[in-house]
Amino acid sequence: MADGKEAILSELENSVKNLQEEAAMEAARKALSAGVSPIDAIEKGLAKGIRQVGEKFERKEMFVVELIYAAEIMSNAIKILEPELRKSKEKRNVLAHVVLGTVAGDIHDIGKNLVRIMLEASGFEVRDIGKDAPIDGFISAAKEMGAEIVGASSLMTTTVSVQKEVVDALRSGGIEAPLMVGGAAVTEAWAKEIGAVYSSDAGSAVSVAKSLVGKGG
Amino acid sequence: MAFGIKRGVRFQILSESDFDRIHWGTLHILEKVGVQVDSVACRKLLKDNGCEVDESKRIAKIPSHLVEEALSKKKTSITLAARDPKYDAKLDLDHSYMTANGNGAVAVDFETGERRPSTKKDVADSSRIIDYLQNVHIHWPMVSSTDKHPSVVHLHDLDASMSNTQKHIMYETGVTLSDAKHLTEIGYIAAGGEKEFRHRPIHSCLQCTYAPLQHDAGVMDASLYFAEHGVPLVFFGMPQPGATGPVTLVGSLVVGNAEVLSALVMTQLHAPGSAVIYGMGNAPLDMRTTIRAGGSPEHAISSAIATELAHYYGMPSCVGVSATAKVPGDQAVLEYYTGCVGPLLAGADLMCGVGLLEDSSCLFYEQIVIDNEIVGSIARLIRGEWADDDTMALDIIEKVGVGKNFLAQKHTMQHLRAGEHFMPDLIDRRSFDAWSASGSKSLVDKAREKTRWILENHRVPPLDADTQKRVDAVIEKAKKPMWGGETKRD
Repeated sequence: MADGKEAILSELENSVKNLQEEAAMEAARKALSAGVSPIDAIEKGLAKGIRQVGEKFERKEMFVVELIYAAEIMSNAIKILEPELRKSKEKRNVLAHVVLGTVAGDIHDIGKNLVRIMLEASGFEVRDIGKDAPIDGFISAAKEMGAEIVGASSLMTTTVSVQKEVVDALRSGGIEAPLMVGGAAVTEAWAKEIGAVYSSDAGSAVSVAKSLVGKGG
Repeated sequence: MAFGIKRGVRFQILSESDFDRIHWGTLHILEKVGVQVDSVACRKLLKDNGCEVDESKRIAKIPSHLVEEALSKKKTSITLAARDPKYDAKLDLDHSYMTANGNGAVAVDFETGERRPSTKKDVADSSRIIDYLQNVHIHWPMVSSTDKHPSVVHLHDLDASMSNTQKHIMYETGVTLSDAKHLTEIGYIAAGGEKEFRHRPIHSCLQCTYAPLQHDAGVMDASLYFAEHGVPLVFFGMPQPGATGPVTLVGSLVVGNAEVLSALVMTQLHAPGSAVIYGMGNAPLDMRTTIRAGGSPEHAISSAIATELAHYYGMPSCVGVSATAKVPGDQAVLEYYTGCVGPLLAGADLMCGVGLLEDSSCLFYEQIVIDNEIVGSIARLIRGEWADDDTMALDIIEKVGVGKNFLAQKHTMQHLRAGEHFMPDLIDRRSFDAWSASGSKSLVDKAREKTRWILENHRVPPLDADTQKRVDAVIEKAKKPMWGGETKRD
């Protein structure tokens, strides 16, 4: 059985790594029928695969669309595991909880989505509150999941000021989690000015997030 | 994947009536003015075939029917074969091929930055770089082995090239009959025999004519030998508009055309059906500095219209690009981009060549790598666009709908993998932060890093020991005293 389990885990890993959607679905179904724990299937299978895709993207060996596609394959495979996952008493071993959104007034979410994918691939649990997200949405989501980090993205110069409103609202709501900001209109100086932490792209978001929760990076 | 640059975009600069005018005008010049032919053998050949030859002036006047006959006899399907057949360059009017530049005498040392006479090691190292780069398809010995015995420098150039690239090698050093014999002999050895070489010519020779309207004796004697022995030829006219040709680009094209067509006549009379490529590199004389303006817009457009004329004759073209810049960087990029993009948009079959500065005289290793990136970008520019079910992607547009994105579509991924978007290697498109965090490197810095990587990592399979021994023996046999005495160089 041990051998069979190992084989299924590497099938899960490879199918994500090699962008094979059908193979990923098949491996997820095999994992369920062979009694592989859904947590293992994710952490020792799918997530290992997507981490390698993320690393290749960082090294410019893979396209961003391949990273997104791999993330989609992974999330579809997780949907198959979901019923078992809910029954399971095991908890996923996450680095930290992150709330992520594109600020109110801005509908540009491709960069924010990349940050989500990279964070998830690196072991963070992310609650994505989407684009044009109201300020109180950041606050309530952060409270609900006990977020250790909040991330707010803005592409337009006309909406960066909303990031300041988010950080102010977090603090007056008693949330001490650091705010990570990014997006085309954001600079390091602006982040400092509003008391936030800056990350310039999806790759650096991972190292910034890791250092914020003291997990290296 | 097919070798070379697939092209689907074609500028049309000259019209059909322009071609007729240029052709008829050239015939007029050949009949009325003639060309100077210094080779005794070539003058006899022309005279025996009805040309009016003035022996005291060495001028031959060529009747138009000989030109028309030569055009109908020439070989039309030419493949420049390579040691590794995956690098065979088929001149099919559908692909463009980039060559190295050749025969400089100076190199800037990659480690010390010293500007010094080039050596055999420079030939070997630059050959390895050419072998590695995917946007350079045909090799030329880029510099000369000036550390070798003067009588056999060009044979060492070929030797160093053969052992360091598996791509086709075109040399431009077959300028005497004895050079031609030795170069051909080495080609036969490398190909595994005469029959094998004739079937798959792995070497070819580019010959320059002398503007205006002259043919050097050694060059033409060598050319007849090459034509007879199955070595493909390029005849390359180089009138400089304003100096050795009329200041107008079309006027200089007529001069160059008369030179190329008269050389074609001689080769086809001597060896009917031999392979001849139509070459031209008309860069004007810069009237302020008296330097040849390589990489100028006039150079580019001259190469473009020469390509159109070659195609009018049903011949593949080989046209020039160069740069007057002294160091890699902004000027070199501007000159090489201008010089390459014009002719390639007009459908140049062979574009020569990359990597030398100071108008094809000084080798900078990293310039080869920069030019490779330029050609990559232009390859995308000339690929062509077309509307079919797959490129229109109506089904995908429908599937994604309003307000979403196309990033995660299989269609996106498949096309990116097939090269829909040019993926640069040296051009840095990252954010300011990411760029500055990794050292704020310039394009030249990155080219140097890549060059260093190639030099340290790229290896080319050597010639087998027996072949190498026989090549060495030809070089040894060819060595002869020069300038009335011996030199210390081996």
